[in-house]
Amino acid sequence: MTAQPDLILQLVQATEDVFKTMVFRAIEPVLPADSDGKRPRSNVVGIVGFGGSISGLVAFYSTLDAAQEIAGSMLGLDPADVNGEMPDAIGEVTNMIAGGFRLRMAQRGETLAISIPSVTVGSDFYTRFATDVRRVMCPFKMGDRDVSVELILTRS
Amino acid sequence: MRFLVVDDSSTMRRIIINTLNKLGYQEVLEAANGREGIDRLTTSEIDLVITDWNMPEMNGIDFIRALRAIDKSKDMPILMVTTNAAKDDIVEALRAGVNSYIIKPFTTDTFKEKIEAVIPR
Repeated sequence: MTAQPDLILQLVQATEDVFKTMVFRAIEPVLPADSDGKRPRSNVVGIVGFGGSISGLVAFYSTLDAAQEIAGSMLGLDPADVNGEMPDAIGEVTNMIAGGFRLRMAQRGETLAISIPSVTVGSDFYTRFATDVRRVMCPFKMGDRDVSVELILTRS
Repeated sequence: MRFLVVDDSSTMRRIIINTLNKLGYQEVLEAANGREGIDRLTTSEIDLVITDWNMPEMNGIDFIRALRAIDKSKDMPILMVTTNAAKDDIVEALRAGVNSYIIKPFTTDTFKEKIEAVIPR
């Protein structure tokens, strides 16, 4: 893996923390892998940028069904009753994962600022980032659903 | 006891309201940014404010400064709930007049502890 394993561990732990405390769903990490050229099956992508002593992006990927489940669990609703709240919920999940990553990095002396989250919902789209980046995909199992968090680091 | 929850994320407002309800606090008003928060405060009796930091229109820090400048809310307990967890962020929030600080993600136990620490006795 080309990104520092410690950074990936921080991101995985930040993600597990958010799901345990705010999504109220258990997730199981699957082995992270370099993700250059790979695209997880997703209809929902949340992105938060960060900059400072290291810079890059944290991206959260899920299917529409998984995103509805996540939003429902956060709001205390049945997934079928979730309407327009889903993008906001996924934005918050991404924001908290990036925030948790930032906090963990701060404890290691890395000062980062993070952006506000943006969320894309749709089909037949892909996210393209600058080519000079290192990308590591961290997949998770949420019951029978798949979600992924990607760490994208600029090479500077 | 009546709470005012100020956050631009409807999801976070709902999570905070659900958490407050779970802790036995049923009276909760909502606002989507600091400006709306001030409107709610001027028209309603509020005992404790819970606010986010990053919001459009008026962010949490400006909102807290505005509250501290209003006679009615100059001593009101204010909790900030945010992902801004750096030491400098906490210092800035305390200087603005926040009474306590909750870093997202949080557990119900942490939330309870922070609320109880600032509730007027």
